[in-house]
Amino acid sequence: MTEATRTPTDTSAPRPKATPPRRRLPDLGPLPWIGPALLLIIGVVLWPAFEMLRTSVMEISVSGLARGFTGLSNFERLFGDPDLPGIMTRTLVWVLVVVSVTIFISLGLASLLNAAFPGRRLVRWALIIPWAASVVMTATVWRWMLDGFYGIINRILFDLGLIDSFVNDWLGDPGVAFYWLMFVAIFVSLPFTTYVLLAGLQSIPQDIYEAARVDGATGRHSYRYITLPLLRPALLVASIINMINVFNSFPIIWAMTKGGPGSLTDTTTTHMYKLAFQLLDVGQSAAMAVVNFSVILVFVLLYLRVVDWRRA
Amino acid sequence: MEEVRAHMTKRFTGFVALGAAGLLAVAGAAPVGAQTTSIEMIAAQYTNQMQPYFDDLAARFMEENPDIEVTVQVVDWNNIDQVVTTRIATGEPPDIANLNYFAAFAADDLLYTADQIVDEATLADLIQGFRDNSKYDGVEYAVPDLASDRLFFYNKAILDAAGVEPPTTWSEVKAVCQAILDTQPGIVPLALPMGPEEAQAEFLIWAGGNGGQYFDGENWVVNSAENLEALEFLQELVDMGCTQPNPGSFDRTSGAFALFAQGVVGMLNGAIFLPGELENTYQSDVDWGVTPFPAADGKESITLGVQDYFFGFKNEDGSNQEAIQKFLSFLFIPENYAAFLEAAGGFLPATVSAGETMSDDPFLAPFIEVLPSAIFYPSDQAAWGSVQGAIQDNIGAAFVPGADKQAVLDGINAVGEGS
Repeated sequence: MTEATRTPTDTSAPRPKATPPRRRLPDLGPLPWIGPALLLIIGVVLWPAFEMLRTSVMEISVSGLARGFTGLSNFERLFGDPDLPGIMTRTLVWVLVVVSVTIFISLGLASLLNAAFPGRRLVRWALIIPWAASVVMTATVWRWMLDGFYGIINRILFDLGLIDSFVNDWLGDPGVAFYWLMFVAIFVSLPFTTYVLLAGLQSIPQDIYEAARVDGATGRHSYRYITLPLLRPALLVASIINMINVFNSFPIIWAMTKGGPGSLTDTTTTHMYKLAFQLLDVGQSAAMAVVNFSVILVFVLLYLRVVDWRRA
Repeated sequence: MEEVRAHMTKRFTGFVALGAAGLLAVAGAAPVGAQTTSIEMIAAQYTNQMQPYFDDLAARFMEENPDIEVTVQVVDWNNIDQVVTTRIATGEPPDIANLNYFAAFAADDLLYTADQIVDEATLADLIQGFRDNSKYDGVEYAVPDLASDRLFFYNKAILDAAGVEPPTTWSEVKAVCQAILDTQPGIVPLALPMGPEEAQAEFLIWAGGNGGQYFDGENWVVNSAENLEALEFLQELVDMGCTQPNPGSFDRTSGAFALFAQGVVGMLNGAIFLPGELENTYQSDVDWGVTPFPAADGKESITLGVQDYFFGFKNEDGSNQEAIQKFLSFLFIPENYAAFLEAAGGFLPATVSAGETMSDDPFLAPFIEVLPSAIFYPSDQAAWGSVQGAIQDNIGAAFVPGADKQAVLDGINAVGEGS
């Protein structure tokens, strides 16, 4: 070790020795190996996060010019906005409902896909489609299917005699629109969740089930006492990744209602975008971003704990 | 030989043309060390014809002024605010911008004054009313590039079938609505687009018809009694089934224009470019007519005038000022300006000279006729950009059942007062 650090000074020696010492860099430990990754993390994670924090305490003019430090006034304006409590509550409902319903349906789908039946491969492939399609595209398709004047859904319901007026503006009424947004969010979350749970199901050894059957366990019993406990790691990972995705979800709401009318179908994510690009208040938007970022951080920490727990 | 090559460069556009022109300058007789000033313009995409227009204009300008390099980037309306503000935030503003507001930039002391960005003759040729709207804090910082105003459009067949004349007052609007509802089920008598796309215009037209405004010269008055009355009147129209449902999520282009083009809407607030849209975009054969906007009973009818702007950004040493002035003055040369208006499609000119040649146009005549009664956005206020965003985002919430309309207006007003 000490010799190695001395070698660079020795290179001034004109004559190579019998076994030339390999010219060595100062001992940097693992730094050369993780350096590029570190640089990448600093460049694309830490620096933007720092800029976000900095912006949230700056006064930014409408034209985009930084006018200097302003303390917590961006946060004061953010929390003083009478619309914010509604947006926060809606975000909570959005995450809880979408994630829990997604998990519930996915459990059923995963069990179905785990069972042997003719055409299983086809069904497995079909389930990938909503996942493979761009979310913006899916949301746009639903936006037009639900359109008040041209939507196919109105047409079908009208022809079935379920609604009496042909014009039925599903996405214009904030109460109804929010349910449709959640429906589409669940629809696009199902494939990923189902596949995570399916992988979980397939990792459960078959002999446990056989042993249980020998001991006289019914199907319901083995599901309750074998499948669910052994599926727990997959369930936790699926819920947390879904929570992060759904919380951050922007395209569904943006493509279908733009958070409107007013802010009545906004979540904190679309609200953040509107603050910056419609109200031209970049400072307040950065404050909202800091709040969102903290929430995500909590989710990520939860995720890391879960992953550790899995390894142990 | 030089001429042949110079001619050939005409066939290329954009950067290729710039590069070729640069090579030519080096290869040709250009003296060593000649200063080349590069300026960049961000222009609004009124139509798809704008980029070809500007490419041609810049190429011809550079032929006359070999020491100036001009690049014009045309950006669509959904993204242009972001492009400009991001450029400013990163310390690289364009040299010229073309937008529908300018005061926020003037407030940050980023702009040249109007007399620095066009020559005297051009400035003198601009219509005075538009020049007055181009001032911030009493100083003229921008020049109007074009303008538009709006009229009340109606579907002749629908009104005829209902046996009514186009309305001139609010109570007549109600009567006409009722007549259409009684005779033609399935027809939307009046399209009311209060969705984010253009709510700031739709609301100001109705509020203005009741004597309301957004800014009274000193204070933001979005929450005035007149404006609240206008909202309440519109709510009555919604409740009687005169409009499509949920005005707050109904946009102008995807909603109102599209339905009018299909012939299922009786009346709407239209703009000067609507007929062009009907013809080209929708290929609609609806037989339409125009009339001034109906006003509240006993109030004056208004029209909404909208003008857009050119303005120039200062750089550190002021070295771009002369190039900006030359290029914009070149744009306002009558033949170039006429081509600009043609590319933009169906707008009112901002210059006296172009106005004179266009006033004979039978299509433009009714729009020019109502221009004296035009009210404008308070675009000379630095906060206007934010207030406009707040109206677009929030006014729709006033039409949700049970909404507190006064609170919605107060919330928007607070955005203006807060800035």
